[in-house]
Amino acid sequence: MPSMANAPASTHPAPAGVEDLRELFVRWQTHGDAAARETLLTRFMPLARSLARRYGRSSEPFEDLLQVASLGLLKALDRYDADRGHPFPSFAVPTILGEMRRYFRDSGWAVHVPRGAQERALKVRDAQERLANERGRAPSVNQLAEYLEFDTEDVIDALQAIQAYETLSLDAPRPGADGDVVAYGDSVGKDDDRYELVELDATVTAVLGHIPPRERLILRMRFVDDLTQTEIAERVGISQMQVSRLLRRSLDQLRTLTHAS
Amino acid sequence: MADKVPNVCLNLSNRPENVLVVRQALTGLAENQGLDPIETNDMNTAVTEASNNVVQHAYEGDEGPLEVELYTEDAAVMVVVRDHGVGIRPHAEDTEDGHAGIGLPVIHALTQSVEFRNLRSGGTEVRMQFAAANADALEPPTDGGMEVIAGAEAGSDGASTVEMTLAPTIVAQAVLPRVLSALAARAHFSTDRISDIQLVADTVVANAGDSISGTHLGVSVNLAPRDLELLIGPLRTGSASRLIESAVDGAGRVIERLADDHRVSTSDSSETLALRLVDRS
Repeated sequence: MPSMANAPASTHPAPAGVEDLRELFVRWQTHGDAAARETLLTRFMPLARSLARRYGRSSEPFEDLLQVASLGLLKALDRYDADRGHPFPSFAVPTILGEMRRYFRDSGWAVHVPRGAQERALKVRDAQERLANERGRAPSVNQLAEYLEFDTEDVIDALQAIQAYETLSLDAPRPGADGDVVAYGDSVGKDDDRYELVELDATVTAVLGHIPPRERLILRMRFVDDLTQTEIAERVGISQMQVSRLLRRSLDQLRTLTHAS
Repeated sequence: MADKVPNVCLNLSNRPENVLVVRQALTGLAENQGLDPIETNDMNTAVTEASNNVVQHAYEGDEGPLEVELYTEDAAVMVVVRDHGVGIRPHAEDTEDGHAGIGLPVIHALTQSVEFRNLRSGGTEVRMQFAAANADALEPPTDGGMEVIAGAEAGSDGASTVEMTLAPTIVAQAVLPRVLSALAARAHFSTDRISDIQLVADTVVANAGDSISGTHLGVSVNLAPRDLELLIGPLRTGSASRLIESAVDGAGRVIERLADDHRVSTSDSSETLALRLVDRS
């Protein structure tokens, strides 16, 4: 792979007019003049860079994608027919995008991107916890984005994605926390007798009986005791994002069960 | 095509931060339609270019509307991006300059088909069709009209208002929580409260079938720092209070519990439910 991907983006050769460009293409395509090719490459590298940035938003290490875009640019330099009268960029854009798409397909990006998203979601989950502990309140999306050096959009995606990851280790107890419901009930009972009532509560309805005790407890903490999700997360020993996920899921299940009954 | 009704309609201003709202709506729809990551990326990239064009060029430095409509079709998704300004200038992009104006070639390269229409009233419509093997046409119900309730109330800053209509329910389910999360994130809400807003969105959508008047769920959002007002409607008479009172075993009245304030306003034949969610943490 050529190394021109590392050419500085700020290199602006003297502006060449249409005729100069045509001349450069003739020199490269007809006479194999490598210097002409290098000039064209430098001139259009910002195009490849711009396309890599637009198309590959936070998906791959940027430098990898830029190499692929550069390869597309090289192909476009070889194949462009100046006599057809189209400006080079309108010919090069689909060629470069096509190269990046092919790379995504061949490298299994379509399969692996969910994993990348999962990894980001887990980082967001952990950072949420850390920042909430440090600052005593749940962080905002901007604070998370800044802390993790992610785009705001990646954090928002993570907040949403976490809902889908049933199989991830999200349900695993947090380090040092006791995720076991029964043991949790025991330990809570010592501090606060109210929560023991959850399991003894005679008003647990038939519908409510269909969801696990821990989820009933979390519902109660949020909707009856009015604890924040971060406070619930601390007491139950799971992450706030998992509290969020369990609340959404159990409300959804309860609604479905209520409709069915 | 002309009489097709969109599944998602977004009325935004051409502020740069609204491009993220468009992308979140698209991503929600893409998930709902089972698009693969490359199809989703293609669609997001092209629609971002079209939206950015409205942000940067349509109003020549002024503020104006950015309207986006999403349609599901069989094996395709159609996205319309519209402005009421000077519109897109297809030929302005024909420059030899490598790093300026590549929006249109990008849109051409990533769409199955694209059409640029000049509106008689001024402005431009970019109609982009994307191949999406798994997509199914989800027709909104045809009876009744699609009304959008006015978002901004007297005295509020119209530019921080977002209006949307959504149909059918399964589309609303995928799109509304995402769009509201993006708006709450912009309003500096904490992750705790963003999750509460998702729960409110879920509840509104779950009850939409029994409460909306017309075919689409209409939601307008007025934004201020850590303060978000949702106007939901038009709703059938009597259903706003039913929505507030809708209870789930174990949690009680979800909306009443999570919203800081609620208010029902009634017109001749319909109601609007206003919910206010504040982050006081």
